[in-house]
Amino acid sequence: MIRWTGILLAALVTACTVLIATSPVDARQGVIANILYVHVPCAFAAYAGFLTTAICSALYLVRRDERFDRIAMAAAEVGVLFCTLNILSGPIWAKGTWGQWWVWDPRLTVTLLLWFVYLAYLLLRSFTEGSERTARFAAVYGLLGAIVIPLNYFAIELFGGAAMHPDNLEGDSLGPAIALPFAASVVTGLTALWHLVLVRADLEHRQAPPDL
Amino acid sequence: MNVGLAIFWKDVLIEWRSRDRVVAMLLFSLLVVMIFQFSLPGGASADTQVYAPGLLWVAYVLAALFGLGRAFTLELENDALSGLALAPAERGWVFLGKALANLTILAPAQAATAFAFGLFFALDLTAVAAPLAGIVLLGSLGLCSVGTLFSAVAVRTRFREVMLPLLLLPLLVPIVSGSVRATTVLIATGSVPFEPIQLLVVTDVAYLIVCFLTFDYVLDE
Repeated sequence: MIRWTGILLAALVTACTVLIATSPVDARQGVIANILYVHVPCAFAAYAGFLTTAICSALYLVRRDERFDRIAMAAAEVGVLFCTLNILSGPIWAKGTWGQWWVWDPRLTVTLLLWFVYLAYLLLRSFTEGSERTARFAAVYGLLGAIVIPLNYFAIELFGGAAMHPDNLEGDSLGPAIALPFAASVVTGLTALWHLVLVRADLEHRQAPPDL
Repeated sequence: MNVGLAIFWKDVLIEWRSRDRVVAMLLFSLLVVMIFQFSLPGGASADTQVYAPGLLWVAYVLAALFGLGRAFTLELENDALSGLALAPAERGWVFLGKALANLTILAPAQAATAFAFGLFFALDLTAVAAPLAGIVLLGSLGLCSVGTLFSAVAVRTRFREVMLPLLLLPLLVPIVSGSVRATTVLIATGSVPFEPIQLLVVTDVAYLIVCFLTFDYVLDE
């Protein structure tokens, strides 16, 4: 499974690079607008990772199957990685277009909050002793942390329009020349997430002490 | 449900006899208010009223963290936590009893802090006392629900004093955001705004349901 997701990821990265290299440069923002192909897919991958953590946490609590705990942990770690890339790429784009590194925009603020929630999740795992207790406590926190995810997506609507980020994307809002590389980069981001989650969960499985 | 009421009564009675958490939270939140006097440009005065709702909720959250940290420390003595886990009822009721007790113990400290804020920031809160109490109740309900759950988690981790704020503060942002916005509008206009209250109610209900259902797994050994 890991090998196949790896091959698929390599193919997607190649295709995505070609598509982005041949896509038109934004007339107003210039080449800096190409951060779109990294920034947004990283956000989607982070969302997907955190959502996976929440679902697998719930499944672990119901079934008490360690595989769900391993996937929840791996998805949180990789989700934090993508969320970090999203938070780092955002200010670079912001400096080029808004003229400032950081603006307390609702979506930006809630993304930072989400990052803190899942960093706390990872800290909780490392500060709790006993693998079963760690899994239980982390699952409860992973489940509660999921409440922040819809808050992030609806942040702009909830906090009433005073936002630098655009509204949620709707069909045809990008135009075909940008929509194709954008869609490819999103698919690549999500494939990268699943591949890294599988690799990390597999590593955790191999590190676990054998059942006696 | 009787188990929940029994635990609520036990915690309130222990607090009534010792009064340690209420006094500690009260002094702590008053100290926070005093520190604001030194941290604001020109000190706490009518000119800095605009910051008052935010600062009031910062004081509430810090005081609650202080008190919630102690909520389950008591239960570690003589392994009382195992007794709670063996309570002959759904463990969600144990959670509700503890959360309601925390809410009750927090209330006097919050009332005194609001009074001190009114004095220091030259705010007349008497006209809006009833709706303000409602907003504080809604905010504190969410605060005490996740606070009680993660107090039970943090008490059994390493660095328990650090873990509770780390776990709790990110999850409190929707509650603090809704409460501060509602308090700001209430103090400025005298009316209760709908949207922040909606956010508070939705967050409270979501947190209460998830905490009620998951407390079983936290108390499990």
